[in-house]
Amino acid sequence: MTRPLAPLLVLLLVPAAAARAEAPAPGRLRGVDPAELAPTYAVGGFVPAFEPPAPGTYALPVVDEVADHPLLDADGARTSLYAETAGRVAVVAFVYASCGEVAGCPLGLATLHRLDRDAAADPALAGRVTLLTISFDPERDTPARMAEMRATHAPRARWRFATTGGESELAPLLADFDQPVAKLRFEDGAWTGLYRHVLKVFLLDARHRVRNVYGAGFLHAPLVMNDVRTLLAESAPPGR
Amino acid sequence: MIRSLVRAAALLAALRAVAPADETCMSPYMPKLTGQEDFVYVWTLGVDGLGDGADKLVILGANPGDPATYGKVISSVPVGGRHEAHHGGFSDDRRYFWAGGLDDSKIWIFDVAADPRQPKLVRTIDTFVKDTGGVVGPHTFFAIPGRMLVTGLSNDADEGGRTGFAEYNNEGKHVRTVWMPKDAEYGYDARVQPRLNRMLTSSFTGHRNYMRKLPELLGDAEAMKHFGSTMVVWDFHARKPIQTLQVPGAPLEIRWALQPRHDWAFTSTALTSKLWLVEQQADGTFRATAVADVGDPAKVPLPVDISLSADDRFLFVDSFFDGTVRVYDVSNPRAPKVVHTQQIGKQLNMVSQTWDGKRVYFSSSLLANWDKTGADDEQFVKAYGWDGTKLTPLWRIDFVAEKLGRPHIMRFGQERFYKNQIYAAAAQKAVAAR
Repeated sequence: MTRPLAPLLVLLLVPAAAARAEAPAPGRLRGVDPAELAPTYAVGGFVPAFEPPAPGTYALPVVDEVADHPLLDADGARTSLYAETAGRVAVVAFVYASCGEVAGCPLGLATLHRLDRDAAADPALAGRVTLLTISFDPERDTPARMAEMRATHAPRARWRFATTGGESELAPLLADFDQPVAKLRFEDGAWTGLYRHVLKVFLLDARHRVRNVYGAGFLHAPLVMNDVRTLLAESAPPGR
Repeated sequence: MIRSLVRAAALLAALRAVAPADETCMSPYMPKLTGQEDFVYVWTLGVDGLGDGADKLVILGANPGDPATYGKVISSVPVGGRHEAHHGGFSDDRRYFWAGGLDDSKIWIFDVAADPRQPKLVRTIDTFVKDTGGVVGPHTFFAIPGRMLVTGLSNDADEGGRTGFAEYNNEGKHVRTVWMPKDAEYGYDARVQPRLNRMLTSSFTGHRNYMRKLPELLGDAEAMKHFGSTMVVWDFHARKPIQTLQVPGAPLEIRWALQPRHDWAFTSTALTSKLWLVEQQADGTFRATAVADVGDPAKVPLPVDISLSADDRFLFVDSFFDGTVRVYDVSNPRAPKVVHTQQIGKQLNMVSQTWDGKRVYFSSSLLANWDKTGADDEQFVKAYGWDGTKLTPLWRIDFVAEKLGRPHIMRFGQERFYKNQIYAAAAQKAVAAR
């Protein structure tokens, strides 16, 4: 698959300095206008006031395909994107543990938390769905920190937490998903400890094809769950 | 405990404070800029014999803190040839600007993030008609997560108004095409209100009309019958039409209200010179109602672009023939009141305002063959300040004198957004305000 824009994105968003561990300076953020730190999408927030369309009543065309990428699971073991999602419908969210952006990672995690509870409550979904949270902050989000995140959410269904071995593994992963992130810096170049990113959560089918992408204003757990059921209905064996 | 945390996160997301930003009409899925814009990106039609004659993306300086570029042309990126450059929009992460040509249906994608002062053309899509199975005239570019929704105006079978919309992923790969329903086959704009899972589309006319010279078209009674008179309400997630609304006279731009619980949108009809309110009813359906005239409809002022302020109070309505902007107080959207009228030029088309509503930008060109001729063919971008009662000129750029062409859609850029920087000045300002 050709991705002419991807190398450019990687070059732009992952500066060479980021390849080395870099100390953040979050203490300097005191008093900074929060609007400087996080994107504004709309007036107020997203309060869904609709019933999502019923599963199987609409199409989810293939948006993109993603390759396999190495990951480190929350126990520090080597794994990969395909190994974690093989044969299942997967909901993949990129986050970082230090994110305080309410329309960002916390919203992504809250949505996956709700999906985890819903998936665990439906025996028909057992063995057919995976939730996968991947950190894009490998310097700080070590496997141990991802294990803490896992413990916080105490998954009841199959919800995996992973990070990467560093920038060399992270950059092609993010480029493949078209999920650019960049360190947010002070004018003198010091890192704030924050990342600038647009929250995206990805729905993958069992063949690793992106079938939907959810952002702020669209990340509504009942809607995502209906999409999951729509994909599962596609792959249901004859007679089911 | 976990449930409480999750609820708290969701509540915080729901109650997120309004921050000053800009571009009130942009996709709600795309980050807005906060504070002062540094650049205005202007997708511009080339004019034969003027400069290189090519369609181009023109970058204007808009920050008064940078006198070297304020109110001046910083750079331009020609694409070669004339294609009826019209509308464009940023990608979901605002890093790329997509722009379309209504004549030959080409699409250009500019990287504006790497160097926002000098964007770079990184991709051209010249297979839009083939990709879509016959849609012609890529018009609105509306970012949705992971992809770009592109409405069409026409089709390649008869170049009339039957059309559809397409989706491309962010790499420019076609994802799907949806044709308009049979009882509302014309297309123009598309805007989504994610809170309601509803998309509205509007309707214009086909290639064989919008590429004709306007006086000739206006004199052709048969051709004038072929304009859209409908809007369609869609289940956005399912991409399914669920209601057709009768809105006679070519409803063009659609602007959803921005405030919570304001479940309505405005449009204006070009040929009948009216403002229409499209409002959700208690049963969930929508109703379209003509709520105001734009000028004297008998004189056909031809309302074109509209812009709604972030507080849903002021609606700016540009009309082409009289070159005039009318500002309506739409605090009561069912009874808009004109609070300010001002002629901006001899012809007028697009209007873009900042999120804080303090600055408003105007451009002059409608379509190459519809613009006025001779001395009336002014081509400009003008910036004004807006204080809630009057417009005060800030600067103007003559696109003929600068040998640029016919300026059309305007979008904003900001250097520090693309540099992923926050500035000490912003921090100090915030501290001082505490």
